[in-house]
Amino acid sequence: MHFDATIDGRTLRVEVRGRDGRYTVSLDGRVLEVDLQDTGRDFVSLLIGGRSYEVGLERRPSGFVVAFPDDTLTVDLADAARGAGTTLRRAASGPARITAPMPGKIVRVLVGAGDEVGAGQGLVVMEAMKMENELRAPRAGRVRELPVREGQTVETGALLALVE
Amino acid sequence: MVERSFKKVLVANRGEIAVRIIRACREMGLPTVAVYSEADRPALHVRQADEAYLLGPAPSRESYLRIDRVLDVAKSSGADAVHPGYGFLAENAEFARACEEAGITFIGPRSETIALMGEKTSARRAAVEAGVPVVPGTLEALADDAAIRREAERIGFPLMLKAAAGGGGKGLRFVARPEDLPSAVARARSEAASAFGDDSVYLERAIERPRHVEIQVLADAHGHAVHLFERECSIQRRHQKVIEESPSPFLTPELRQRMGSLAVALVAKAGYVNAGTLEFLVDANRNPYFLEMNTRLQVEHPVTEMVTGEDLVKLQIRIAQGERLPFRQEELKQRGHAIECRVYAEDPDAGFLPSPGRIVALRVPGGPGVRDDSGIYEGYEVPIHYDPLLSKLVAYGYSRRDALLRMRRAVSEYKILGIKTTLPFFERVLHHPAFVAGEFDTSFVEKVFAEADRVRERPVDVAVAAAAIRAFRERQAARLQGTAPGGSPWWRAGLAEAQRRL
Repeated sequence: MHFDATIDGRTLRVEVRGRDGRYTVSLDGRVLEVDLQDTGRDFVSLLIGGRSYEVGLERRPSGFVVAFPDDTLTVDLADAARGAGTTLRRAASGPARITAPMPGKIVRVLVGAGDEVGAGQGLVVMEAMKMENELRAPRAGRVRELPVREGQTVETGALLALVE
Repeated sequence: MVERSFKKVLVANRGEIAVRIIRACREMGLPTVAVYSEADRPALHVRQADEAYLLGPAPSRESYLRIDRVLDVAKSSGADAVHPGYGFLAENAEFARACEEAGITFIGPRSETIALMGEKTSARRAAVEAGVPVVPGTLEALADDAAIRREAERIGFPLMLKAAAGGGGKGLRFVARPEDLPSAVARARSEAASAFGDDSVYLERAIERPRHVEIQVLADAHGHAVHLFERECSIQRRHQKVIEESPSPFLTPELRQRMGSLAVALVAKAGYVNAGTLEFLVDANRNPYFLEMNTRLQVEHPVTEMVTGEDLVKLQIRIAQGERLPFRQEELKQRGHAIECRVYAEDPDAGFLPSPGRIVALRVPGGPGVRDDSGIYEGYEVPIHYDPLLSKLVAYGYSRRDALLRMRRAVSEYKILGIKTTLPFFERVLHHPAFVAGEFDTSFVEKVFAEADRVRERPVDVAVAAAAIRAFRERQAARLQGTAPGGSPWWRAGLAEAQRRL
């Protein structure tokens, strides 16, 4: 079975074969022999060339979050057969959407719709879990949409600003 | 003061610290009363206390900060003492006074002392009077922006802007240049107003490359005061501590003794009773400057408990019951080394943004020398309304190296899935050569560590292999389902699970 795996900003061509806990995984042509055992609903144990890894696997709509003791990586998987890499293409161009990274309250709106902003300029200040967080423009441009008001409560993923 | 035993203790807090206090009470045979907000009905402290009563809606201003409601619960439940923990009402002199007037013992200092030491500018004045060196800056809170600008020019940049009623990094801003001052003042005031209900601020000169070292003190109501040595708290992000240890690898025995004596002098001068902490900045030449006093238990109290063998929460309760300190200064010793990591629901790869949500899986470390003071359980939903501290993980060892290796082992065993936590960040900090060598200051996380961390090797291949194999197995299980024979119950359960996941 073939996948396109997007991780840490790049996409790898992946092939998986095997059964009963023994798998051959090819990553852009590099081959790993993997012994994988489920060790709980959300954990797997892997043995790769004798090295032992215990990782957490959290299901996401587009793939998995893989949790190591010292790092957490998001792996987006697309079946190679059905149009791959759509996530990547979307992110590369078009206006920048600034969305709420968590539920919280808008305490200040620092710019107005139509304003020209510089890269890194503060757009809105959100309060969540007792801290104020300033959300900044990822790049320079014009604020096309600004659909939030001060005092408004927003959910995760809510659009805060659109910079083009 | 007459010694008496409390009948019942109300814990005016939530989360891991409420659980910590309930544990101490239980070990002392004291019944406990928990209070909770509408968001906290499933919280661990509600489950562990002997009684629990609702305070009000989720926002802390309508629940945990409601003095009248907390006192109503204390009276109606028959609690004769209140432990405030840290945060919320812990440093609220008005609350302590209301307890005193209601005949309920506030487990902490007297309300006048909280007012004196809790207001940061009057604490600075008290320190100066007790002969304790302070960071140069203003000794009064500054009311208007013009006064702030004037004082800022006098002190010079860079400087620190601080909330007079502050603590925990809230309302605190580093200001590098004059042009950054107006927006920093606005943000600090608004944060301080929301966190403490008081928007006054003051200024201090920024000490270059400071270490944050604090002294734990205990004083009884009979005029005896001791210190329980220092805690090193320089590993911070956004001015909030994340890793603490005792002893500090930076202090010399002479400086330790000097800072301890200064702390006891200030405590005696202020007529302080109960547990408290004096925070100091120590500059590169090992000059200590008093910053502020926290008139309460500290988050990082376990490291002191590990190296002294004393239980600070029980001692707080015994002091509040009118008992004398059970030891003299010379009987206290620092033995071995302890490190604490604060496990927060925050994403270390996204600027430590809070990461609330459901904990879908939890594995807690065990084994020798490991302590986990936690307020969570598997299936628990971390609410968005409160501080994101989940747990305090503490490792103890014979030496700093022992404690460090043990902490690495404990962090690697600790698994929290469903939300982002600071655990992977700790694993990496604990391997950083500067941390291992004990050579760091308060800028470590944001400067030294962040640079090394950006170019770290990430376990990409293993992550992709794990995810792709899991996806492959799910597809195969789904394909098999149509033709699955009766099989064993385990087989059927596995199929149902695979289907649910797709």
